[in-house]
Amino acid sequence: MLEPVMYEGGVFKHNQIEELVEDLGGYILQKNVMQTEVVLLMLVPMNDLNVVEEKAKKLLGKVTRAPLTGSEIATIAPTLAYHHLPHLDCDVAEFLRKKGAKTNMVGLARGVGKRICQLTAYERDLINEHDIAMFILGNYEHCIIEKSKKLYEGIDIPIIVLGAPELKTEDVPNATAYVGSFGRILHQMRHAEELKTLDKLAEVTGTVLDKVRVEIGKDPLAIAPVRIKKELEEQIPELMDNLHPLPVTMQMTGVRVKLPYGEYHELIENIEFVEGVKMKEVAKVLPSKMRDFILIKALPKSVTGFVV
Amino acid sequence: MEPLETISVESPDIVGAKTTKSLIKDTLADLSLTRVIVRLKVYVDPVEPVFIFTAVLRLSSPPVRIKDFAKVEMTNIEKDEVKIELSKETYVVKLLGKLWDRYGKGNISQPEQKVILIQTPLPDKEVEFLNELIIEEPQQEVLDRLIDAVALRIIPEGFRVRKHELTKTHIMFVASEDTLKPEWIERGKEMMKSLKEDEEYA
Repeated sequence: MLEPVMYEGGVFKHNQIEELVEDLGGYILQKNVMQTEVVLLMLVPMNDLNVVEEKAKKLLGKVTRAPLTGSEIATIAPTLAYHHLPHLDCDVAEFLRKKGAKTNMVGLARGVGKRICQLTAYERDLINEHDIAMFILGNYEHCIIEKSKKLYEGIDIPIIVLGAPELKTEDVPNATAYVGSFGRILHQMRHAEELKTLDKLAEVTGTVLDKVRVEIGKDPLAIAPVRIKKELEEQIPELMDNLHPLPVTMQMTGVRVKLPYGEYHELIENIEFVEGVKMKEVAKVLPSKMRDFILIKALPKSVTGFVV
Repeated sequence: MEPLETISVESPDIVGAKTTKSLIKDTLADLSLTRVIVRLKVYVDPVEPVFIFTAVLRLSSPPVRIKDFAKVEMTNIEKDEVKIELSKETYVVKLLGKLWDRYGKGNISQPEQKVILIQTPLPDKEVEFLNELIIEEPQQEVLDRLIDAVALRIIPEGFRVRKHELTKTHIMFVASEDTLKPEWIERGKEMMKSLKEDEEYA
């Protein structure tokens, strides 16, 4: 079992951490160097976590658990108008990114109003490609509850709803979790209590993702998404020159590859792992709703009968 | 009176009222309208649903005409020419833009920094017209910003059925997701009236 963790420390000798994690059979997912600081997002085998922690201590760095690592979250606003953007939505998206998630912003075409709100088929399919749908709603309790009754129709991933009133999750229909103290905020969230709210959001999101992990654990994937990512990066040189942010984006049950489907899907389907299996035997390679990207979904053990 | 001390938001939803108040403050500050609004009263009922916005305004300076910052005269009775002698250069960019639109670039010359010459066949009539020409309308700009704030930022997006009243002294907006009921508009008018009375006795 791999544990998602974040290493924060100095640039000096940080490659020792990278090498240690790779030697232990873990993976480095993302590396951000900011002047003299470095942030590594990585997956470390649970049993060897203390070895990494000791090494981090020696380098005067810090290892923390980052449950959002390796997830792709859709932050959804009712529209892209000034009512919601830039402040609140960008703050939420940025904060979750800092905690290790990849966020995509979705602005609905007809998401406004409590009676007239709608979700188009395209939007629904696009949102369903993510691990979590985060709906950023407004100020009024009545509107949030009424809207929740129908806006999330057809979404089969966990839904986190944000709004101003402090409601219980049970009171918000169809929501997996609800986080209050948001609402329509038209300034940057930087006061102490606002930052606490964002921390709470990260915590709730982490809990939801942990539950997803437990569910996946019941019928494990034939291949870990991180393994797919590594194999793709090693075998497809075009990914090196790809200018998209995170050309191979990790998800809980697969990866999104930012290459055109038409040209590359056969190549990807026929990628071979050292164990002798091909990609198409352990995962489905699908066209993504996002541009003409490729979505790879790993198959569960119950379908393949084996785990790589 | 300190600006922004007189904002009140009424709603059966207490948390909603609080956040709405903070978003109104943010929007007015963003668009530098805090000094324009003297008193402001908002009523929101998300169950109905209705949003009523009323405010008493204090608009600043009147429109700026050419005669406020320049001298317009004919140069010579034999020449078809009008001379504008500027005392302030603040509005010269906007002035030139307007002159180019009316007379064409070829007919305007600026021999000196503060002198503009216009070639035109009817100089005597043009002098009268030019004296009264409005170069800048600060009030209109403020009202544009106010509409931006209220209609595009403050009123919830779903509330697309709207009725408004906008003058130089007050603004009233009634908005809803459904057809407007006459009693809501009546309530808006009453709120407006009480705001004006408060202002008179303040």
